[in-house]
Amino acid sequence: MPSRYGPYGGAFVPETLVPALEELERTWKAARRDAGFRRELSRYSRSLGGRPTPLYFAERLSRRAGGAQIWLKREDLVHGGAHKFNNALGQGLLARRMGKPRLIAETGAGQHGVATAMIGAALGLRTEIYMGEVDMERQRPNVLRMRLLGAEVHPVTSGQRTLKDAINAALRDWISNVRTTHYLLGSAVGPHPFPAIVADFQSVIGREIAREAACLWGRPPDLAVACVGGGSNAIGTFHPLLRTRTELLGVEAGGPRGHPTGAASLARGRPGILHGTYSYVLQDRDGEIRDTASISAGLDYAGVGPEHAFLKDSGRARYVAVHDEDALRAFRWLSEDEGIIPALEPSHAIFAAVREARRRPASHRIVVTLSGRGDKDLEVVGRAVGA
Amino acid sequence: MVDRARKGRYTSLAITARDAGATHLELGFPFSDPIADGPILQEAADRALRHGTHWDDLRSAVRDTSTVLPTIVMSYANPLWTRGLARSLANLKEAGAAGLIVPDLSLEESPPWRRAARRAGLDLTLLAAPGSPLARIDALARASRGFLYLVSRYGTTGGGEISRSADLAPLVRSAHAAAPELPVYVGFGIRDRRTALRAMASGADGVIVASALESALARRPSTATVPRVLGPIASAVRTGGT
Ligand SMILES: Cc1ncc(COP(=O)(O)O)c(C=O)c1O
Repeated sequence: MPSRYGPYGGAFVPETLVPALEELERTWKAARRDAGFRRELSRYSRSLGGRPTPLYFAERLSRRAGGAQIWLKREDLVHGGAHKFNNALGQGLLARRMGKPRLIAETGAGQHGVATAMIGAALGLRTEIYMGEVDMERQRPNVLRMRLLGAEVHPVTSGQRTLKDAINAALRDWISNVRTTHYLLGSAVGPHPFPAIVADFQSVIGREIAREAACLWGRPPDLAVACVGGGSNAIGTFHPLLRTRTELLGVEAGGPRGHPTGAASLARGRPGILHGTYSYVLQDRDGEIRDTASISAGLDYAGVGPEHAFLKDSGRARYVAVHDEDALRAFRWLSEDEGIIPALEPSHAIFAAVREARRRPASHRIVVTLSGRGDKDLEVVGRAVGA
Repeated sequence: MVDRARKGRYTSLAITARDAGATHLELGFPFSDPIADGPILQEAADRALRHGTHWDDLRSAVRDTSTVLPTIVMSYANPLWTRGLARSLANLKEAGAAGLIVPDLSLEESPPWRRAARRAGLDLTLLAAPGSPLARIDALARASRGFLYLVSRYGTTGGGEISRSADLAPLVRSAHAAAPELPVYVGFGIRDRRTALRAMASGADGVIVASALESALARRPSTATVPRVLGPIASAVRTGGT
């Protein structure tokens, strides 16, 4: 398993965390070779998670675009309403294997917090979630869900009070309680081995896409599109397609039109070290991390997973930024054309996919990972569109 | 912590620290996301950034203090990395710094940083922690320059109880055996005579005080604050060390 992706990745952490990261890597490597672990993972994925998820042909949305076919990978149908379940389950099983009775996690949109709380409940592990105060306000339904699932939710009041600050708080908790606690990191970011582990557990998305594409069309899709916050649903989509001819497109949050950076670390940042990993980071001249802006709490992060940095530099994947206003348009298109209310995060990917579809022939097949459903966003969207 | 609002006062702060018994001065560069720090240093960093503290403030502070005491810069990895490691370290050396502490630099990531520090003529000090296996302690002690920074407990900087002397002692012994010339200083949570004595009873060669001084200075910014905090600790180190 790589600790580096080209120059990116690594583990820039206080020494206190190093033994825990080494234990996690050892446990994960042993678990991957253990047929019993794999069986358990796939049993929970199926019977608790609802996997596999289907590919859905978004015919009316494709017609609106007027070009290539747009297909949706329905991660919004996974238990809890987002792809976050895949990683929370895998790491939850690793935590149990390590004998750690307590889980902590950060969350932005609340989807990872909900997934961790569900897994904590199902596996009987105590769960505490760090969430920025701003995010608690804008993703209120998920706060209630986490609490109902038995998790304790700690408001984070430092910094911008969003995802980055929640990760800081979770890391500090981990430093203090590392002997009894597993930090269930929710995206493909953080120190090694997290980016590799998260990519591994999320790769079920791309594997299922490849398998179903082979059945339906006899070949992989022409283009795969996914939104990128920290980059877990995107890396899970891309990984199994890396060695095919499928074009890969990651979609970051551009923030409100006119904002200098939004949360587009790959498009507007430069390489730096944040939360233990070397990757693209939105930062100022002194290396201080910049404030970000996005209508979607799950994409509102100044960093990005190191493997995406590598895929960008190598040219194997492309990354674009989509503004809040356009994500909202795509949110409505998908709701009205297909009867599917998407989360704001994948709405960014939907917009980019429609734009791509317009300039491609009808024979092209675009798969968009619909990483989550939009119940959590109704208030924000209602306010934004005045509904 | 370097803070633009402290401009012009570094020399007098360093002199009072020296007179109170300090042998080195640690100057922290504020970072927006200090994951190893508790609330006191987080707030100090936030304050400094709000005051518009920049890299040049660090350089000028080092220039002021390094004529009084050997000055060691504490900075998270990104501010140093982002302007080019060689250039940042040359900057600090030129300003008069003696060494460097990077709390989020692991042993595994340290080789290019150690090379750059050697080239710049700075001591790069590594951190060891209570959970570090003894073999790691040995490797850290051999790779560290200036001293070895032994973190007193599982936790971030600031308040909270430090580990028992008996738990720290094997780590100190191991480091001393691996690198007999290298002093071991204990930091995190050292705030008074009691905590200093406890740290020194592990066989350590000294202690590091940050949060206690920072919070006292935030409450009472006068130079008189420095000996009030450092005096009892320095005397504990002298007793504990003999
Ligand atoms: C539905 C949904 N999609 C995407 C994301 C972004 O995360 P990632 O880039 O790790 O997939 C989130 C994060 O909260 C989310 O809730």
